[in-house]
Amino acid sequence: MRDADSLLRVRGAFAVDTAAVPWRRLLTVLVVSGFFYGAVMGSSNLRLLQMLFSGLKVPVLLLGAAVCCLPSFFVVNTLLGLRDDFAAACRGILAAQATVGVVLLGLAPITAVVYASTGDYAFAVTWNGGMFLVAALGGQLTLIRHYRPLVTRDPKHKIGRASWLVLYVFVTIQLAWVLRPFIGYANLPTRFFRADTWDNAYVVVVQTVLRALGI
Amino acid sequence: MKELIRDIDVLLRGGFTRREDLLEGRVCVPSSTLVRGGIVLGCLAGACSGLYGGLRPGVHASFWQLIATSAKVPLLFLLTLMVTVPSLYVFSALSGSRLAFKETLRLLLGAIAVNLALLASFGPVIAFFTVSTNSYPFMVLLNVLFFAVAGLGGLVFLRRALDLVFEGYAGEPAVESGTIAKEDEPEPADPPPLPVPGATEDGQPLESTREVSPEIPVWAQRLRPRPVERSEVVFRAWIVIYGVVGAQMGWILRPFIGSPDQPFELFREREHSFFWGVFKALGELFAG
Repeated sequence: MRDADSLLRVRGAFAVDTAAVPWRRLLTVLVVSGFFYGAVMGSSNLRLLQMLFSGLKVPVLLLGAAVCCLPSFFVVNTLLGLRDDFAAACRGILAAQATVGVVLLGLAPITAVVYASTGDYAFAVTWNGGMFLVAALGGQLTLIRHYRPLVTRDPKHKIGRASWLVLYVFVTIQLAWVLRPFIGYANLPTRFFRADTWDNAYVVVVQTVLRALGI
Repeated sequence: MKELIRDIDVLLRGGFTRREDLLEGRVCVPSSTLVRGGIVLGCLAGACSGLYGGLRPGVHASFWQLIATSAKVPLLFLLTLMVTVPSLYVFSALSGSRLAFKETLRLLLGAIAVNLALLASFGPVIAFFTVSTNSYPFMVLLNVLFFAVAGLGGLVFLRRALDLVFEGYAGEPAVESGTIAKEDEPEPADPPPLPVPGATEDGQPLESTREVSPEIPVWAQRLRPRPVERSEVVFRAWIVIYGVVGAQMGWILRPFIGSPDQPFELFREREHSFFWGVFKALGELFAG
């Protein structure tokens, strides 16, 4: 909890310009908080197995997309001449991901109350989407704080950060689609993946929009 | 291998295209290093693109596609360069580039290596989408998108280098800007000697000197291409030539991904063009 507090305030070991990067502590905060929110997220039907699955999936979602995008982030930073700041940039990104987890953790009790008040699956999906959006904004705040001295030193960091965000969001949406279900539909048995998990989120969205437009 | 990785790292950091070297028309890295780097990176990128062929839905899944694409991606870039390097060199020489043929080749190989490094870095993302989607048109468009973005990275590298090359060529911006800036001022009693046309300040002959002459009206001097404009002309000519040839070369070497409806084949029949293929994939994606 002390680490989570320091992370949110960007203080102590999680301060922006500290020499040592607390990788392990950041990862621990991310995994623990992500697991906890995931467990709450999967508790809408009070199925223990779904809670466990969702608890495992949220840290995978937060870390998996980041790991997937890291090689291109490395090359983009190198091409922009920002390699010397790469460790600091990575710290910012990991801190942002951990912040997403901590914000989700803070929102977990509200989600639990929402589940207790309604059994509507569509509402639960929308609600969790909103929670992830809020948490993502919190993560962005941390990222901006970590990037501020970097951008002051070299404005090209803005390009590096923007490239990260574009690719990260692109991959995260698909990863979230693959890792469904996070909540679990009451009428279906509990499964780690859906049967149609190997669909493509973007194709589904485009086809849904086209169908809605009658094209 | 370690040495090769180090060289690629130096290239990405701009160590082989330092300002002082380019100003003197030098690109200090052997072509063989860049070719080897390009092949390794291209194979990596190709393996990720060809993964879909091995995992594609249906009865035609074949890991031969992965091997073929691993070979095709570096081949695509190197063959395109082989075809275009003479014309690219002619354009740059005509525009007064200080780079000799070998240096031009090295610079282009460097841009390709940067392009392939960026493409290889997208590899995990392509691999992730490969295992998480069955949509062939989506994979085609995703690969086209990443090829385009990686190409953009290579172009940025090339553009920066060309600006320095032509800045080095000009060597006279101070004279030019000075002449224009001081147009309203009274002429000095004893103006400094102007360079001899067709020669450097040392009197050495130059291939194409463009020193500002007092006889040329100011409006005409303003119309003269500046070094940055020169580099832009060469850059645009290179983009058009390399882009068109590269796109068509990619079309000739297809399939890179492997359609789920067709068995593995090393090359497809000659038909249509690259742009037809992209529009077809877009149509299929939207048609569902």
